[in-house]
Amino acid sequence: MIATILLFSVPLILAAMGEVVGQRAGMIDIGQEGKILIGAFVGFIVAKITGSLIVGYALAVVAGVALGCLSTWFTAKLQLDQVVVGTALNLLALGATSIAFRIYVGDSGKLLSIDKAPALFGLDPVVYLAILSPAVIWFVLMKTSWGLSVRASGEYPPAVEAAGISVIRRRFEAAMLAGGMSGLAGAALSIALSGSLGEGMSAGRGFLAIAVVTFGRWRAPWVAGAALLIGVIDAVQYRFQGQAILGFKPPLQLWQALPYLGALLILFALGRGAGAPAALGRAYNKER
Amino acid sequence: MKPLAILAGLLALSLVGCKGDSTNTTGTAGGEQPGKGGASKSIKVALLTPGPVSDSGWNAMAYEGLVAIKNEQGATVQNQEAAGEGQIKDAMRQYAQDGYNLVIGHGFEYNGVAKEIAADFPNTAFVSSSGAQSGPNFGAFRFYLEQGFYLAGMMAAGMSKTGVVAVVGLDVPSIRSTFKGFIAGAKAVRPDIKIVEKYVPLPGTDIAAYKQSTLAAIDEKADFIMHQANQGAQAVFDAAKEKGVLCFGANANQNNNPSGVVIASAVIIAKPAFLDLAKEVAEGKYKGRVQLFGMDKGAIDFVVNPAMADKVPGELMSKIQQARTEIATGKLVVPKDEF
Repeated sequence: MIATILLFSVPLILAAMGEVVGQRAGMIDIGQEGKILIGAFVGFIVAKITGSLIVGYALAVVAGVALGCLSTWFTAKLQLDQVVVGTALNLLALGATSIAFRIYVGDSGKLLSIDKAPALFGLDPVVYLAILSPAVIWFVLMKTSWGLSVRASGEYPPAVEAAGISVIRRRFEAAMLAGGMSGLAGAALSIALSGSLGEGMSAGRGFLAIAVVTFGRWRAPWVAGAALLIGVIDAVQYRFQGQAILGFKPPLQLWQALPYLGALLILFALGRGAGAPAALGRAYNKER
Repeated sequence: MKPLAILAGLLALSLVGCKGDSTNTTGTAGGEQPGKGGASKSIKVALLTPGPVSDSGWNAMAYEGLVAIKNEQGATVQNQEAAGEGQIKDAMRQYAQDGYNLVIGHGFEYNGVAKEIAADFPNTAFVSSSGAQSGPNFGAFRFYLEQGFYLAGMMAAGMSKTGVVAVVGLDVPSIRSTFKGFIAGAKAVRPDIKIVEKYVPLPGTDIAAYKQSTLAAIDEKADFIMHQANQGAQAVFDAAKEKGVLCFGANANQNNNPSGVVIASAVIIAKPAFLDLAKEVAEGKYKGRVQLFGMDKGAIDFVVNPAMADKVPGELMSKIQQARTEIATGKLVVPKDEF
């Protein structure tokens, strides 16, 4: 049960860790969903073709980094609205992966399967990456000078420029890190969790990751905790669906809504306190 | 700077537009107006599906029917995804205005909308897969998959060592109805059988969720799994393989899935029904009605995996054979929901 919960929480934790970095740099990434989807497809198809899971995971990360660059080029360089760019990226990802899938297996689809990575002490290796990621992201953001300038880019960009560091450059770097995490999350979803591939398989995890970052108050360890809690609630949901509890059989819809209800309650409990980065969602323009 | 953004937006939109992939061909005798005589004239047929046609399941089956209409009858065909009342209405009107003779909506949810739209387009036939309403130029054809699921239920309950069997699928009324057939079959063989039901919410593209729910069902001691997971089917089979339990295939014959856990499949043979429907429309003979396609018409089958047939006890096999005959002759009526 615990192994299952950990495994099925992996994509959400990884994607949320990426989103923390991006948001701390001042970018709200609606396109996270699309990046996960692209990562899922690139990872799976490449691993299938090359026969190497490592190459699959690696190229999924590369694809995520490239998409991070692409969206930052629009949002930071061209200073377009971040929500619009993200939405466009999601549509692009859904269309592109659907076409790729149909070219790969034919119009009416095919059930694809892939061998999982050999377990390491009983767990899939990606689980360890997900467990390590909050500590690494926390360290990078809070304990390095690079992290300091990233955080400043999200709080008060003029200060970063005054220190002689390019805000746009920091945002590019943060988006590449975030995109790579999303790509990895996607590959974990298709290879390690699903072991299969299909259209639209990201199923809202990217949006949930954005929500989880808010619940976790933009702090990596808290965000990871919130993501794990959602994972626990989800597992409980599937486990107890259709069972009577104290003689009462709750309706299915209640179980299915549970992860979201849980998320809402967490937000309610943690609603006050540290807020969002001050420059979140705003493009930085030196001239203004 | 702005034009670049617009360009990117257009690119994204055009790719999405491509998703409702067109399988256009020019008909052999094209150029004629719909609704006018001539038995061998080619027609225009549109298919609306609730999900991607690449799902290796429910939607893929309809798509293959459509391709057969194109290849064997020279029809001009097109298909797109349309879910939700607004989208369905738009798509139906669009195809009717473009002179399509037949618009197939692949699900019960298209039936009610068709009723509304059919009156405005008397030269177009609107047919939905399942649904209960009909009129002069709209109707429904329903596959009685519950019959195949009933036999699968018998086999599952007859062979289960734990006394627990499970159903895993997408949470929509038509799928719930097929599970009803499975449960009835299981209880007919073993009244005290415990049934575990796990449902994945719409839109049902979350393959990981199918795997997770299958694992949860096996945790509750289920040793036979019946699925309605479409593109998540492989995840169901793989979960079963991991835990050493057996599965049934659904919609298509999935017996030779590489996982090696599919003992039998409840199959819909949809092609003849699609071809007959298109032929009726082409000949101008279509009359709106609700048709039921079951084992009696050869549209539903239950196929045991030859490689695993020796695992099924002989006595149970003959029981299943007997039930199959009774279903085909109408002596045994398998329960189904109306929606």
